[in-house]
Amino acid sequence: MDNQEAKFILKAYRPGGADAGNAVFCAALAQAQRDPDLHAWFDREQARDKAVAAKLKAVPIPAGLRESILAGGKMSTARRSWWQQPAWLALAASVAILVSAAVTWQSRARAARLDLNQLTAQILDDAAHGERHGSHGQSANQLVAYLSQPTTKLALPFPLDLGRLKSDGCRTLNVAGHEVMEVCFERNGSEFHLYVMARPSSRDLPNGPQFTAQNGIHSVMWSGDHHLYVMASEKGETALRALL
Amino acid sequence: MSDDTFSQLVDQYYPSLYRFALSLARSEADACDLAQQTFYVWAKKGHALREAAKVKSWLFTTLYREFLRGRRRGERMTALDALPENQLEEATLEPETVVSMDGGVVMAALREVDEIYRAPLTLFYLEDLSYLEIAEALDVPAGTVMSRLSRGKAQLRALLASRSITSSSTVVPFQNPNNKASHG
Repeated sequence: MDNQEAKFILKAYRPGGADAGNAVFCAALAQAQRDPDLHAWFDREQARDKAVAAKLKAVPIPAGLRESILAGGKMSTARRSWWQQPAWLALAASVAILVSAAVTWQSRARAARLDLNQLTAQILDDAAHGERHGSHGQSANQLVAYLSQPTTKLALPFPLDLGRLKSDGCRTLNVAGHEVMEVCFERNGSEFHLYVMARPSSRDLPNGPQFTAQNGIHSVMWSGDHHLYVMASEKGETALRALL
Repeated sequence: MSDDTFSQLVDQYYPSLYRFALSLARSEADACDLAQQTFYVWAKKGHALREAAKVKSWLFTTLYREFLRGRRRGERMTALDALPENQLEEATLEPETVVSMDGGVVMAALREVDEIYRAPLTLFYLEDLSYLEIAEALDVPAGTVMSRLSRGKAQLRALLASRSITSSSTVVPFQNPNNKASHG
């Protein structure tokens, strides 16, 4: 570990020593003990962090905020309508279970037939309202790194293991009973959302890339041998086309 | 939840939630709204949280989500993000300089840090959360938190350094003796 790496790690070390027992910091702390320059830097960093924290904690709270919060909280919990009483809620829950069982049975039958328009609309909506999601786990990080490379062409086959992505905690949407994984990445400063699912047995799958736009978000759908892909971005069709 | 329990929860967390909100929002009024909205969500859904130890993390996560929900997409500032890393690293700021600064100035500088770095930075400074707790609250990988803390600190240091220079330089108004002559 060189001093740059040690500094990177030590910047996350909380002033006050709360992280002293965390093994992640041990090597960097040991390095600081050995290297006088790094030691001096770490002392200044900790002193500065302590000073910044103290200043921020001293920012005054507006008068009346506490009372507003308490009043708002009471209003949202105190007045319960008749239909919010436990007995009625239990009855409603029973009815809901019966209805949802029927709906589940119907939706399972429908799930095999994926409506591609519904899939695209839901993804465009998700991309428009969702935030960029951090990758999770080694497989997702590897995929994000691969997708972010300027030379990667997404229309060409690339290694993808949906099972590993899911077990790593990759964000998953449910579209008409189908699991769709989302991976976000950046290319040339622009943000893209790639949604992937196992290739469905639909006869309507596009032969080539199919572009759609909705509320300023553009998407392209294409299919490979094993997967169906939808990529969304607010950067427009040209930007999407450049990645294929 | 009883009123007493709710009051205790508010008393325990509303100052730090407000300060976290203030670092994210555009104004004090927006920050108050965010803090209030967070407790409103708690009053509605908090009972579903089974682990009492996670209340604090739940509140900060909820406030951050409410903030993200409320702000328009792609609004984050990127001016400082465009500065090269080495330029940010070069900014020197002694701890004593920070100690001599007004708390409002430090908060104002924090609010100018890019939004993506601001949230982890605020939780680090205001709540003494570890990088792992920040990762959980913001739902980002731990390595990303470390990286954002490093970059966010560099931005904050550069901003505070520029403010300390501005405030310490004395502006001497130019006085032309001829101007003192009466006209007419």
